[in-house]
Amino acid sequence: MTNTRWIEVAAVGTLLTALGAALFVPPEQTQGDLARMLFVHVPSIWLAYVAFVVTLIGSVAYLRTRKRRWDHLAGASAEVGVLFTGAAIAMGMIWAKPTWSVWWTWDARLVLTAVMFFVYLGYLALRRAIIDPEVRARRAAIFGILGIVQIPLIHFSVVWWRTLHQPASIVRPDLDLQMDSPFVAAMWMAVVAFTVVYIALVVRRMDLARLEADLDEWLATEQTELAESGITAPRLEEVHDHG
Amino acid sequence: MSTFWSHASAVARKDLRAELRTGEVLFVIVPFGAVALLLTPLAVGVDTPLLERIGPGMYWMVVLLFGVLVALRQSSLDGRPQRDMQALLGVDPAARFTGQAAATGLLLLVFALVLGPVAAALYDPSPSGWGWLAALIPLVVTGLALLGTLAGAITGGLGARNSLVPLLVVPLAVPLLLAATQSLEGLRRGEGILGWLLLLVAMDLGLAVIGVLSARPLQETSR
Repeated sequence: MTNTRWIEVAAVGTLLTALGAALFVPPEQTQGDLARMLFVHVPSIWLAYVAFVVTLIGSVAYLRTRKRRWDHLAGASAEVGVLFTGAAIAMGMIWAKPTWSVWWTWDARLVLTAVMFFVYLGYLALRRAIIDPEVRARRAAIFGILGIVQIPLIHFSVVWWRTLHQPASIVRPDLDLQMDSPFVAAMWMAVVAFTVVYIALVVRRMDLARLEADLDEWLATEQTELAESGITAPRLEEVHDHG
Repeated sequence: MSTFWSHASAVARKDLRAELRTGEVLFVIVPFGAVALLLTPLAVGVDTPLLERIGPGMYWMVVLLFGVLVALRQSSLDGRPQRDMQALLGVDPAARFTGQAAATGLLLLVFALVLGPVAAALYDPSPSGWGWLAALIPLVVTGLALLGTLAGAITGGLGARNSLVPLLVVPLAVPLLLAATQSLEGLRRGEGILGWLLLLVAMDLGLAVIGVLSARPLQETSR
């Protein structure tokens, strides 16, 4: 098992620092304290994108090299990506209720983000449905490549459609930041913290996947040995005992 | 004709012949789709202007959701013995994928063409830009056929296949649905739809490339 303790310590440390920064910035002019939710919502969705791109990279690398660790990376990253997507949707809904007066609205970016969530739930369901690790890795890799189609569509949805969701505030083509510097600094700290948390979760999940694979292999060997002992001819002394 | 295309054509003809014998798409899935179109007004309320407005969207929804059934049905034609036999006969996996997708696409085209007049009769949508449907419908059904065939190959031989395929296909088919509905909406407003058509072409090409490239690794896992 990989020694991941230092990544986990770093994850907790950066999270606490980001939390402090998020609480330290003054309330936003129009939204007040509610704007602090964006320090969770924005990094969550960014990390979800990163996670699904890593799933794509792991899938392509697995198909090229057939090394199991790439499959573990793709699967682990997708699981964490689904978690972050769920967090981003939940935080967005909580933020939307006091801001837009509704939990949910039929906005292109919201709907497409929810669709992305279901695409990768499908990916995870596919992985669970296949028992053979080799078959699972190969089929999941192909679906992992297919799944990435949604991401550019979601990102450009606010440009292509007139939507309620605001366009990008930080990463903009014109490099014109739409936030004051304390907010930008706190946002970047949150992004760094979420990135370290993502790495820690993926590394730990990959360790678990490796252990699961070892366990499956051991169980398969055990079962083979049991089956072999089941068909061994009775020993001579046993016959004598009964006789 | 090269071996690849003759194999693909043979696989497509085999699948179409199977449909001709059973008539499952034409006599089961098409009526099922028509029933869905018929029942929707009961669910949303009999408001004629509203129905005129949502008619095209409902049509594409039914094509997408029931089209998955067509794709699922087609991809379940080949069991393991059939796949092994085709492999032993030297059928290129990519040719098999192409043939299956072509047969599914043709059946989906029939499905969409039969349901079109049904939707038009029931919802009476505005007739602006109907000529564009000649380009839109083939592009959408091609994408759906490629996606359905790919999902069918990915889930081949799995117990949960019937529930997995819709979960895998429907969210990934959202760009097809968006392009189709936004095109008709654009035509209604008198706007150009070239961008949406290009999105459909790009999606179809991308799916075709992924399908052909993944055919061999998928065949290896199905043995």
